Amino acid sequence: MTRPCRLRVEGHLDDHWSAWFGGLTLTRHADGTTSLSGVVQDQAALHGLLTKVRDLGIPLLSVDVDEPSRK
Amino acid sequence: MTGPLLETKLRVPRRRRSLIARPRLGAALSRGAEAGLTLVSAPAGFGKTTLLAEWLAGAPPGGASVAWLALDPRDNDPALFWAYVLAALDTAAPGVAATARSSLQRPGPTIDAVLTTLLNDVAALPHDVVLVLDDYHLVDARDVHDGMAFLLDHLPPQLRLVIAGRADPPLPLARMRSRGELAEVRAADLRFTPDEAAAYLNGAMGLALTAPDVAALEGRTEGWIAALQLAALSMQGRSDVAGFIAGFAGDDRYIVDYLAEEVLARRPEAVRRFLRRTSVLSRLGGPLCDAVTGEDGGRARLAELERANLFVVPLDDNRRWYRYHHLFADVLRAHLQDEEPDVVPELHRRASTWHAQHGEPAEAIRHAMAGGDLDRAADLVELAIPATRLGRQEATLRRWLEALPDELIRVRPVLSNGYAGSLLVRGEVEGVETRLRDAEGGLGTAAGATVVADVAEFRRLPGAVAVHRAGLARMLGDVDGTMVHARRALDLIGENDHVGRGAAAALLGLAHWTRGDLGAAHRRYSEGMASLEKAGYLSDVVGCAMAVADIRVAQGRLLAAMSTYEWGLRIATGQGPTALRGAADMHVGISERLAERNELDAAAAHLVSSGELGEHAGLPRNRYRLRVATARLRQAAGDLTGAADLLDEAERLYTSDFFPDVRPVPAVRARLWLAQGRTDDVIAWAGERGLSVADDLGYLREFEHITLARALLARHAVPEATGLLERLLAAAEEGARAGSVIEVLVLLALAHRARGDLSAALAVLQRAVTMAEPEGWVRVFADEGPAMATLLRAVAKRAIAPGHVRRLLAAVEDGAGTPVEQDLIEPLSERELDVLRLLGTDLDGPDIARHLGVSLHTVRSHSKHIYTKLGVNNRRAAVRRAGELGLNG
Repeated sequence: MTRPCRLRVEGHLDDHWSAWFGGLTLTRHADGTTSLSGVVQDQAALHGLLTKVRDLGIPLLSVDVDEPSRK
Repeated sequence: MTGPLLETKLRVPRRRRSLIARPRLGAALSRGAEAGLTLVSAPAGFGKTTLLAEWLAGAPPGGASVAWLALDPRDNDPALFWAYVLAALDTAAPGVAATARSSLQRPGPTIDAVLTTLLNDVAALPHDVVLVLDDYHLVDARDVHDGMAFLLDHLPPQLRLVIAGRADPPLPLARMRSRGELAEVRAADLRFTPDEAAAYLNGAMGLALTAPDVAALEGRTEGWIAALQLAALSMQGRSDVAGFIAGFAGDDRYIVDYLAEEVLARRPEAVRRFLRRTSVLSRLGGPLCDAVTGEDGGRARLAELERANLFVVPLDDNRRWYRYHHLFADVLRAHLQDEEPDVVPELHRRASTWHAQHGEPAEAIRHAMAGGDLDRAADLVELAIPATRLGRQEATLRRWLEALPDELIRVRPVLSNGYAGSLLVRGEVEGVETRLRDAEGGLGTAAGATVVADVAEFRRLPGAVAVHRAGLARMLGDVDGTMVHARRALDLIGENDHVGRGAAAALLGLAHWTRGDLGAAHRRYSEGMASLEKAGYLSDVVGCAMAVADIRVAQGRLLAAMSTYEWGLRIATGQGPTALRGAADMHVGISERLAERNELDAAAAHLVSSGELGEHAGLPRNRYRLRVATARLRQAAGDLTGAADLLDEAERLYTSDFFPDVRPVPAVRARLWLAQGRTDDVIAWAGERGLSVADDLGYLREFEHITLARALLARHAVPEATGLLERLLAAAEEGARAGSVIEVLVLLALAHRARGDLSAALAVLQRAVTMAEPEGWVRVFADEGPAMATLLRAVAKRAIAPGHVRRLLAAVEDGAGTPVEQDLIEPLSERELDVLRLLGTDLDGPDIARHLGVSLHTVRSHSKHIYTKLGVNNRRAAVRRAGELGLNG
């Protein structure tokens, strides 16, 4: 079940990371943080993303996963 | 093994140039080494590996030798993970893991058994070993963590463990922390302090930076070493250092992006392309890089990158293998995916081809999957199946299969059949039928869409599928089906496929046994055993030997059974110091036969041996069988309560392991109740089981029916008992079950006597004695007590089998009541009393050894003596017995 999710990390990530993070949209904020937002397929995909963040040594600030949109 | 072990993973990383000394951390590690486990846990780029390499290159505490293992994602298979750990330990203490390694390579011993062997050998080392597991965060397989927890639980003082990784491992850290068994070095400890940053930048890297510049860099990176390292490299040879620092410190970009681009921007595009395109590789070698890039000179290029300090890490001393710094590799891969996503599949395809050609199927499969070429991956997996089976890497095979789309598997008959095998090996039934049907579908003539990679296996497929079908039928309890498919398999399988023939014959033997056809069962099992022995599958040989011997017992052939158990024991214990699974079962079998011959001390000694081998040396069934056998000895010694407790335990632990349950534990307990005078309970049990004298009689319920006859005799319902016994006799004779015939004759003798027909009683008893003599049956008579003694004396007068009758009489009179509650024949020594007291605590073996300042081996040998003297076979029983004797003060 796909779910919208948003990760916020410290520092500004360049757009070339978008493909690496499975096509998430990168938004750089004025406070020096970046949001990665998009849709994850399931929990396993979400954990895959978290592992990628961990392996880059980027401090992770928050993770938000929304309720799946019901149609 | 899918591919050889990579030596590069076992190499302690070389100390790099431009390091700074970090005595505070070295001291922390050395202090920590007194704890069993040191955890170095921090994100990427915090210098974990470097710190450990530096510490170990100095003087590891106590002159310990060093075993190093750099883990990677493929190590999520217990067979592979432990193969590497053992190889690493052998580099530190040559030979220490040799026996464990040889047992790991054979099918049979469990991982716990292999580790037990290893720990014993490590405990005998004259010096300490530090085992470093680097990048442990790449392990996520539950069963690998379980093995590690077992290792930590039994860690001998000679072995210290260091685990380094980016995440805390799922091990019982909190418990170890509270016991002071855990030392930790974390991100906060690893960060460069301002002084260390200054020493690194200005000393090691030779940059003449001002204090404010250093402070700015340290502030921007927060002491993150990888970032400082990249920054320093970017500044080398730069004229406007201050400008660089100002730009860097004033920027919010992800540090590694910023710095990697600083470095990359100054390289020619050819170098950048090389870096990007080889970033798909987990290891970099010259020829491999050439194959992937399609260019020449990879080896020189790598050497050049190393000289330029461009984030490549050599993996060996002769400059054959490198890898990229982890952070840098991720940046390169992100660039690759962003800039030329279209070439990625081709790069993986080339890498996969190269690895397949160089005997590394696992890496070839990884690249095929990463490149999205799943057809190729499926072919490679199919070809790797025999190797995974031999190397016991079922977990790896399973992971590959689960990563492949079903439609690719279904058109591959060999792969489908391999999938069925991987399910059956784990005792899973669901899905097997579908896989086998797919495999058979591919055998048909209209096989247009069928894909076959392994042609030799495809030729063997009909027989292989039939074996799996027989195995599936067995698991589903379908005796007819087992028989049909096993027979078909034997028709289809070639003479030289010993594994296939052995498996099919054993399955057929089991089906015959379940049907009560002992002769055919014995013949088939013997055939299967011979084939499996030829194939070298000794663990399965031992399993078959157990069945063959049990069948011999039912046939009344105690001597043949005995020699089979002994033969099985030799096989199971003759393959090196780690006994194969089934060794403990053989001791129990031998003990039961000795007990029947009334050699009770020898029988008890074998139960001690069985218990000492440990649960991992027993088939799952042995847990309950050991208790049933022990209960019998207790009962023979007059300890009926102790026997009843053991039978309750046995019932809880019961598992058939597919052997027919011809001596159900509740029926054994019902017989014990009879000895306790609880006849009503036994009648109630028989009612619950739906047993009656009018039942159709057969092998599977024979033991229960004989139990019912015993209960009827105890109730003086002599005519009913006699009628049932006479029918049981006919059935047992027809089935050639001499063991049952003897028992029924003994009971018939008692029944005849009970109704006053002494001459009929003596006639059947004479038959029983005559049959019992050559094979040495004793207890089946002796257990009947004084009533039997009277009859035996009458037989003695007739001079029938006089020698055996004398033995039987001696056994009856001896067994008439010498309860166990008595002083020990041989008192415990002072030291044994010390060990006994500690056995009553929560301490484990290594702890007790440490406590007493002796070796684990010594503790084991004390325990063994204690068990023998107390007449028990495990720790719990020893403690209980000691309590009864007032020994644990």
